Amino acid sequence: MSSMTRRYVLKMGVLTAAASAATRAGGPWIARAQSKQLVVCSWGGAYQEAQRKTMFQPFEKETGIKIVEASPTDYGKLKAMVQSGNVEWDLVDVGDLNVVAGAKDNLLEPLDYQAIDTKGVFPQVIHKYGIGTIYYSTVLAYSTKKYAKGDHPKTWAQFWDVGKFPGPRTMRNNPLDNLEFALLADDVPIDKVYPLDVERAFRSMDRIKPHVNVWWTTGAQPAQLLADGEVELATSWNGRIYAIQKQGARAGLEWNQGKLQWDSWVIPRGSKNKDGAMKFIAWSTQPKPQAAIVNEIPYGPVNQRAFEFIGAQAARDMPTAPDNAKRQVMVDPVWWGEHRNVLVERWNAWLLK
Amino acid sequence: MRPPRWTSELLLVPALVWLGIFFVYPIGRLFYASLFTPAFSLGNYAKLAGSPVYLKVFVNTFEISVTVTLVTLVLGYPLAFLLATAGRRASGLMLVAIILPLWTSVLVRTYAWMVLLGRRGLVNEGLQGLGLTDSPLPLLYNRLGVTIGMVHVLLPFMVLPIYSVMKGIDVELLKAAQNLGANRRQAFLRVYLPLSLSGLATGCLVVFVTALGFFVTPALLGGRGDMMIAMLIDVQVSQLLDWGLGSALAVVLFAVTAAILLAVQRLSGAERMWVRVP
Repeated sequence: MSSMTRRYVLKMGVLTAAASAATRAGGPWIARAQSKQLVVCSWGGAYQEAQRKTMFQPFEKETGIKIVEASPTDYGKLKAMVQSGNVEWDLVDVGDLNVVAGAKDNLLEPLDYQAIDTKGVFPQVIHKYGIGTIYYSTVLAYSTKKYAKGDHPKTWAQFWDVGKFPGPRTMRNNPLDNLEFALLADDVPIDKVYPLDVERAFRSMDRIKPHVNVWWTTGAQPAQLLADGEVELATSWNGRIYAIQKQGARAGLEWNQGKLQWDSWVIPRGSKNKDGAMKFIAWSTQPKPQAAIVNEIPYGPVNQRAFEFIGAQAARDMPTAPDNAKRQVMVDPVWWGEHRNVLVERWNAWLLK
Repeated sequence: MRPPRWTSELLLVPALVWLGIFFVYPIGRLFYASLFTPAFSLGNYAKLAGSPVYLKVFVNTFEISVTVTLVTLVLGYPLAFLLATAGRRASGLMLVAIILPLWTSVLVRTYAWMVLLGRRGLVNEGLQGLGLTDSPLPLLYNRLGVTIGMVHVLLPFMVLPIYSVMKGIDVELLKAAQNLGANRRQAFLRVYLPLSLSGLATGCLVVFVTALGFFVTPALLGGRGDMMIAMLIDVQVSQLLDWGLGSALAVVLFAVTAAILLAVQRLSGAERMWVRVP
């Protein structure tokens, strides 16, 4: 759920960046000197707003631990903080892959599972160095202006079929969120996707490449492109489509053959409030806060006991709703952790060809 | 020339300290990181040399920067001339119009181009409405889009140095040349152009070097073939956390840029580049 646009803004607006760096550097430090405070970094936007309302504020009230927010998550910054020994963040919301990568680079504190009740938490989001925050999906999205609901492409093979489903397309500029779909488009069964057959995936990508008008780099782009009519078919993170639907855009999404993945909480090595971070993790993975956040924004709870507190309609719109989940492929962060760097290089070479 | 007194050397100290802390030291660290991440080896550079991706992206970066420099020159030179020769009020207004966009975030301006140039953007709708085209022209997500976006951002950096030099040129000289028998073209080519050359060279250098490091505009307006070096560095630094390779890329970009600057300076003569002739 990278909101890279925010990073661009920071990079470009030197003054803004300097000002916000000053508040970030100064704020938490001063605050921490007074009492135990917890600096939490997340992705910003609608997602962090939902976290604030359903998690940060209630947690503060319940425990008296003051939460200071930062955004957006930036792995480069996280690494720089740990390596320079000046760790400003106590808790960071990262993509599933970066738990594996961060653990490998020795950037993270191991979680204390004595203190975390994992009853009901889906086992695949439990990692020595991180635990799931929410589930989200990368899905096939379409313009409902062009394709009436029901007549839209429902599989990646159909997304690849430009004869039957014409129209400009956008896909992510990253091997992530593409190679799985390329294999599914090439009729690989959903349970045989991992380990990825990379050669086959790139051969399949060769076929769709000429028909992709825009290769998106930020999460907001595909939704924007669909809303503007710049493209008619897209791959997108499900929450973004929901957000533009709420604003009246004519866009729909297809759960079938989506890619289910999750975000995780991690604690940077050398965090100044490890205990507070651990407490927050233990608190936020429980059914009630999990239900509260996904009622606010349509992602999936990582604790299945949360469904007791979720309305039936809301549950149907979530990536982890049983009907939606069973038709998707579940990401394998360990496989990606091992192959990502090589594949990104290969991807760039492939794009430029 | 008198040898500079110690007081005038002292005036240099703040600038040197600034350069040392914010330029020499970080570049040194970058160089170090490119060689010593994880342990000493030339591996990062070998990787750059061994993969066609990096060469292609370097070529892209220089192609785009040269194109953008030429286009801003063609647009900026006449504009600067107009600015330098217009009346006080008109030139004041024009100057504000040129400088104002500098206060708007590059990101905002880039998104504005997306609104204008999209398939359903103002330009395409307009052209189709007038019956000039049947289907939307591909103005975005390709080299054209990148060029338009970057030219817009960089135009002031071309106009201003040329303008400042032109302001110092006495237009009476043109009349004098014509009095002495030159036609308008000759008067411009043999009198005005050479006098304005230093501003032109400065403008080109500033635009070219700034363009080399562009990031937002090509990322948002470009197509798959328009990857620039800064985008690759960003991927290495903030996504893949491969700081060794990211540093090596930055060092190579720095070295190639420095080499080009030195070569241009050698060819054109340092004097002409930096010192206002008039």
